[in-house]
Amino acid sequence: MNFMTVAWSNLRRNPVRSILTGLSLVVSAATLTVVIGLDKGYSSAVNSELVESTGVHMYITKEGCPIEAASVIAQGGLSPLFVEEELVERVQTHPNVDAVLPFKLFTVTVEDGSRTDIFMGVTPEIQRVRPDWQFASGGWFESEYSVILGAEIAQIEGLEIGDVTYSEEFDREFNVSGILERNYGQDDATIFLPLATAQRLVQREGRLSAIALKLTDISLMDQSRNELRAMIPADSNVLGSRELGDGILQFYSSTRVIMFIMVVIAFVISVFGIVNTMLMAVLERRREIAYLKCVGAGKTDILKLITFETFAICVAGSLLGAFIGLAVSPYFGNFMRSLLVAYVPSGSIAQPSLSIALLAFLSCTLIGVVCSLYPAFRASKIVPMEVLRNE
Amino acid sequence: MNNNGYLIHMESVSKDFRRGSETIHALREANLSVHPGEFIAVVGHSGSGKTTLMNIIGCLDRPTSGYVRIADHKIKDLPEKELTQIRKTTIGFVFQQFFLIPTLTVLQNVMLPGLFARQNVEKRARELLGLVGLKNRLSHLPDQLSGGEMQRVAIARSLINNPSILLADEPTGNLDSHNAGNIISMFEQFNRTGLTIVMVTHNPDIATRCSKIVHIEDGCLTA
Repeated sequence: MNFMTVAWSNLRRNPVRSILTGLSLVVSAATLTVVIGLDKGYSSAVNSELVESTGVHMYITKEGCPIEAASVIAQGGLSPLFVEEELVERVQTHPNVDAVLPFKLFTVTVEDGSRTDIFMGVTPEIQRVRPDWQFASGGWFESEYSVILGAEIAQIEGLEIGDVTYSEEFDREFNVSGILERNYGQDDATIFLPLATAQRLVQREGRLSAIALKLTDISLMDQSRNELRAMIPADSNVLGSRELGDGILQFYSSTRVIMFIMVVIAFVISVFGIVNTMLMAVLERRREIAYLKCVGAGKTDILKLITFETFAICVAGSLLGAFIGLAVSPYFGNFMRSLLVAYVPSGSIAQPSLSIALLAFLSCTLIGVVCSLYPAFRASKIVPMEVLRNE
Repeated sequence: MNNNGYLIHMESVSKDFRRGSETIHALREANLSVHPGEFIAVVGHSGSGKTTLMNIIGCLDRPTSGYVRIADHKIKDLPEKELTQIRKTTIGFVFQQFFLIPTLTVLQNVMLPGLFARQNVEKRARELLGLVGLKNRLSHLPDQLSGGEMQRVAIARSLINNPSILLADEPTGNLDSHNAGNIISMFEQFNRTGLTIVMVTHNPDIATRCSKIVHIEDGCLTA
């Protein structure tokens, strides 16, 4: 027999109370696992999609708040912000610019709101700027009303090369000339059009959402950015792809704050639950603790006993919570996707991992054990003769 | 052992308590000497100071004044840690309430003080439970036992660390006369092996079975 045996047996005295206390830790650990998984996953997805895998080093956008620009680019839509197409020729002359991709990005939501299509008008330069933009079948636009479909939208619509699809929004038929390989990014859900066609469809001829640039030598990025700034009008801006990603993550920060507030609330509830449970347990067992002191239990023994009881609850609750957090993270990822306004990566935005679960488990266990110190201290201070005489 | 051969020696021991503005004199100039192997009954009315006397002998409380020696220890000035050590090694306690942990088995309850003494006492616990007639009840939980059986478990537990002194505060108070008689017989049996017992009781029939009766009234002891 050891202290843990006694502690575990004490927890069995009032199983409902022990289980409820454990459940508060389950909620805390699960919430922490989910929130950290979402936080890490979203940042990682944004970085991977916008910064690492696109091959775009810089964007030229309309001057203004870079976060707003990021949102406009990411969300498409018919923003009043635009870049003049004439800038394309100017920036092409810069010696460190390898490829220039002017694009027009917009979205069209069907009348009943059940679906939003993403359209992107591009030029052949996209194949140089975006190494991940590869055809699975078919090829470049065959006519001004040809489309190239992302893998997911082609699959959803059941379209193949040569098929003709009718767009109610534009009252026009489009011929499918190419289908892209799946890259698990936003491209998978995008309909690509020739740039001029895209501009015409939304009556924005000569206007671009932004210009994407690929540099020859990215070690000269800062210098190139300054030089490019000097080449474009003062009301335009040059953004690094990292800044674009950071801008989007800043949009996400309010969501992030709310999520972490949820974690704090869950923790506070757990803390009160544990302190309350252990204080009750101590108060109910004052005479018994007094007797244990009679038979030789020292202050340290009583401290150890009460702390072990809490430790047992904390380990069980935190472990279960961390695993539940791992299991439900993907569902919360999908839920978050429906709430995000800044930018929604097409891959999973939940990135649960064993290291996150371990962190949640250790944090919750540690907090729980710290919470037990006050009740344990109260128990250790019990004076046997006072309790046995007065109660 | 002290020089006089007493296991318990008290001289002019007083214990006062404050209750609000009032001072309660729980013990007044009490003298008590107990030789090893004696079986003493402490008899007195409620509030006469019996429990205070037991607490001082049991190193659970210190006297306000006077001299107390338990085995080789002068307890008045000992720190709490050493008093705990004396309780752990020298004194066993049996109370009217059994204080068994309801979720531990009979065997585990008896072994509990060994946990605090950092000793493996399972073998001795089994032997003691055999001596108190409960060797077939080792894995039972306390709520599966009768009152008499629970007190026998409590007695086995009080002896697990092989104490020199057994302090029993109304050990038969919750038992019927048959079970009370059995418990006292058990005390007599352990006393014959050399265990010193100091027992508080209200019951004059039980007191007469002890080798010495000490009366206590208003904190004053009379043999």
